[in-house]
Amino acid sequence: MVIVQRKQLSFAEKLYLPAIARGLSITFRKIFEKKITRQYPEEPLPKTEVTRGQPRLVVKEDGNIACVSCGMCEIACPAYAITIDGGETDRTIEREPVRFDIDMLRCILCGFCEEACPKDAIYMSDELELADYTRAALVYDIHKLKRPKAALQKRIDYVYRLNNRWRKSSSTR
Amino acid sequence: MNPMLRDFLVVFLKCNLIYGGLLGTAAGMTLAERKVSAWMQYRIGPNRVGPWGLLQPIADLIKFIFKEEMMPDGANKWLFRCAPLIAAIPAMLVIGVIPFGPAIPFEFMGNYPNFSITDLNIGLMFLLAIGGLSIYGVILGGWASNSKFSLLGGLRASAQMISYELTLILVILAVVAVSGSLNLRAVVETQKTIGEWNVFSQPLAFLLFVVAAFAETNRHPFDFAECEPELVGGFHTEYSSMRFALFFLGEYCAMIVMACLSTTLFFGGYSVPFWEDAPWFVGIAAFLLKSAAFLFLYLWVRWTLPRFRFDQLMHLGWKVFLPLALANLFLTGAAVSWGVDLW
Repeated sequence: MVIVQRKQLSFAEKLYLPAIARGLSITFRKIFEKKITRQYPEEPLPKTEVTRGQPRLVVKEDGNIACVSCGMCEIACPAYAITIDGGETDRTIEREPVRFDIDMLRCILCGFCEEACPKDAIYMSDELELADYTRAALVYDIHKLKRPKAALQKRIDYVYRLNNRWRKSSSTR
Repeated sequence: MNPMLRDFLVVFLKCNLIYGGLLGTAAGMTLAERKVSAWMQYRIGPNRVGPWGLLQPIADLIKFIFKEEMMPDGANKWLFRCAPLIAAIPAMLVIGVIPFGPAIPFEFMGNYPNFSITDLNIGLMFLLAIGGLSIYGVILGGWASNSKFSLLGGLRASAQMISYELTLILVILAVVAVSGSLNLRAVVETQKTIGEWNVFSQPLAFLLFVVAAFAETNRHPFDFAECEPELVGGFHTEYSSMRFALFFLGEYCAMIVMACLSTTLFFGGYSVPFWEDAPWFVGIAAFLLKSAAFLFLYLWVRWTLPRFRFDQLMHLGWKVFLPLALANLFLTGAAVSWGVDLW
């Protein structure tokens, strides 16, 4: 048990007026100090390669999507946000997705799909804003998800540096 | 022109001007409150609607009007609907006796020299009597909501009002004893020069008045009627939409009236310091500036001081302020009756 000795206040302290005046002077001075507000849509936070935004599909330099619709990301996804239907293609990889939907309302931006992908086809972009008028519009199909590789290059390089110990080569590198 | 019609027209014009100004200021205060609070917390405050956020009150109003109106089960429908009006209307009514400016030296539709809606002989009494009515709105709103938080808020409001209205009236009585009139214009006329301002002859009264006015208008640090951490929202917990806005309108109007009243009673109303024969429009500007300074004080204190505890409030009201106000009144009365010049 601790017995706390309350400090006996002097008369001036009991009046509270000096303390109130001091408090008022502090808040008044703060009015003129520098503001720390960030005007968000106009001044967004700086995005770095570590920024893990929404997943996007890589479109290689030859214009083809890197995905072979193996379904690894679909299985890895803890939020069941990804739906893939595979189809045939004449390219040497033989398979490509005919349907690749990510329900952005389910996506938790965990990045498991990025980790799971064996073909470096899906990466977390730095795109963060997510707003629309209907739920249906927020289920992104393959056309909305496609991004040129150059746009994701910073993240790809970062992931490679991170995983360099066990990931020596890749089909799309 | 028919004199009755002329009288009616003049009063109509005055009412339009003064109530337009009052409601405009009340709307501006909602913005000012947010701006000042933001500045004191290193923020910018509303700046999206219109330049510098100036149209924010209009956006708020539109939002309030289009919001859904809710009424709890078991609420007293009639009183629930009336309460916001009862809270807002008396607060607005009392602005009518405040003298905004000195006598106007030219004739406008006949000889109506006074820049106030009416110069009641018992202006101060009218102000206190009618202004005190708005607490009924708060109590009734709290009771009619059929909610415990609201009821407690209303109860607290009534206890607080009774405690602090006493102090307020006793303090004002001391000022009245000095100026010798209940007419607010006469009170101002006794404070022509800065040396005659009542704040210097009645410093204790001024201090008590300011604190009591804070309590009377339900402002921080005495806003127990709507104490968020304990009572959700106090008396207006169950209110939504425009009725909720009406409560706030009443509160801001009461603040504005109190600011005008402190200017009138203690800071020489429309008299301009160091310029005794100032023209009438300078007088009005001086009045508005002084009142604006008081309004800023309300915001400033709100964003500086923490809320009292309710028992501290009662202790302060009954054991500190009431004796002090009585002593002040007694001393002032004695000085006045023995003819001692107070300053």
